[in-house]
Amino acid sequence: MRVILASAHRYADLARLWHRFALRDLVPALRAAGAGVDVVLFRDAAPDAFDPRDFPGATLLAPGPGARDFLEFYDAALRREGDVLFLLDADLFVLDGAWAASFLSRFADPSVAAVSLLRRTEQPGVYALLARTAAYRELPAPVFAPSYEAPGAPGAVNRQPGDRAALALRSGGLTILDVPASEAEGRVSDFHGTTVIRASREVFGASLGPRFDALLSEKPYFAMGAYDNLLLGALHRTVFGAPYAPDADGVHLGGSATEETLRSALARVSDRTALVRFLAYADRSNRAAAGLFAREGLPFVPPRLLPRPRGWAVRAWGLARRAAGRPA
Amino acid sequence: MTAPGAPALVLQEGEFRHQETFGPGTVNRGAVLLECTWDGGEFESGVMLGGVFRSGTFRGGVFWGGVWLSGSWVAGDWEHGFGPDGAYRPRTDHP
Repeated sequence: MRVILASAHRYADLARLWHRFALRDLVPALRAAGAGVDVVLFRDAAPDAFDPRDFPGATLLAPGPGARDFLEFYDAALRREGDVLFLLDADLFVLDGAWAASFLSRFADPSVAAVSLLRRTEQPGVYALLARTAAYRELPAPVFAPSYEAPGAPGAVNRQPGDRAALALRSGGLTILDVPASEAEGRVSDFHGTTVIRASREVFGASLGPRFDALLSEKPYFAMGAYDNLLLGALHRTVFGAPYAPDADGVHLGGSATEETLRSALARVSDRTALVRFLAYADRSNRAAAGLFAREGLPFVPPRLLPRPRGWAVRAWGLARRAAGRPA
Repeated sequence: MTAPGAPALVLQEGEFRHQETFGPGTVNRGAVLLECTWDGGEFESGVMLGGVFRSGTFRGGVFWGGVWLSGSWVAGDWEHGFGPDGAYRPRTDHP
């Protein structure tokens, strides 16, 4: 069996972390399970920022015809020679490679089209998807692209990457296995929105000026992405001795949000529900980061972004809400 | 007093708008529009993040993740988005 391990990256520093874990913990396990493995990294947006010496054992691709961006790359990867396409998100790390590799045996059942190791929505997604290439190649191209049904109408449905393929395969009688989140806990470390906030600052941060940092107080997704970058940045700086997500001046995390910037943003948030949700998210991310740090043999100390009394007060309020049957 | 033919609304650099609708007579000169509807007017620069482009002219700026239903594309950076049929259109594949 030949496995194509494919991942798309906009930023070389995150890709370097991803590559370190994938080549050390995942690829050997896949090979031990009897698979040949090709590692393919798509360098979205700025290919020159990737030093090939940092990515031994991987094929580095750049945007071009047939793979103009990371979503088209997924279809390009499907066309590569292989039996199983293993799509793995840029901010997703498999800590237990043997566990992930054990799912290759599921493909002995010809009715199994895919295994999703991490589902974030109703559909299996493409976050950590092992896809039988023969089954997916039967679908009309583009196979993995997102889409809109009834675009512009009030009831428009936005199909996420891989959704249409999953629906078509299942309606055709094939099986896509969804690994329960409880089983993946501790074996997979996933982070959210780490690229979105960086790309946003890159594209319109300068034109918004200080208004951009205000978005961290207003848009939870930005704050969560910034928090995850704090954690990944701490790991990156310790492991590689280089700044992570730097701005034009080379300031560590300046291309996302520094710890002080995020702390200031959270200080401006008066909505307790939003803070409870942020703290719950941060707890989840801390568990994910703790797994990465432990794998490196490093101590993990989560950043404290709220003053201790305020953090306690917010958590107590959230617990009281939950006890009253009104979770935040 | 507004001069004849002058735009009714000019969006400037540094502005951030969320879930608003902009009609004919609007000109964007650098604002970031998140999940907004553009229904007429001239998009000269700035960023359209998500949202729907129903009509008007896109002359510059970045189109990122929105739905393009109709209008004229003159210039700009198409990061990615969706066409009037709902199909995905990757980077550079502008209308």
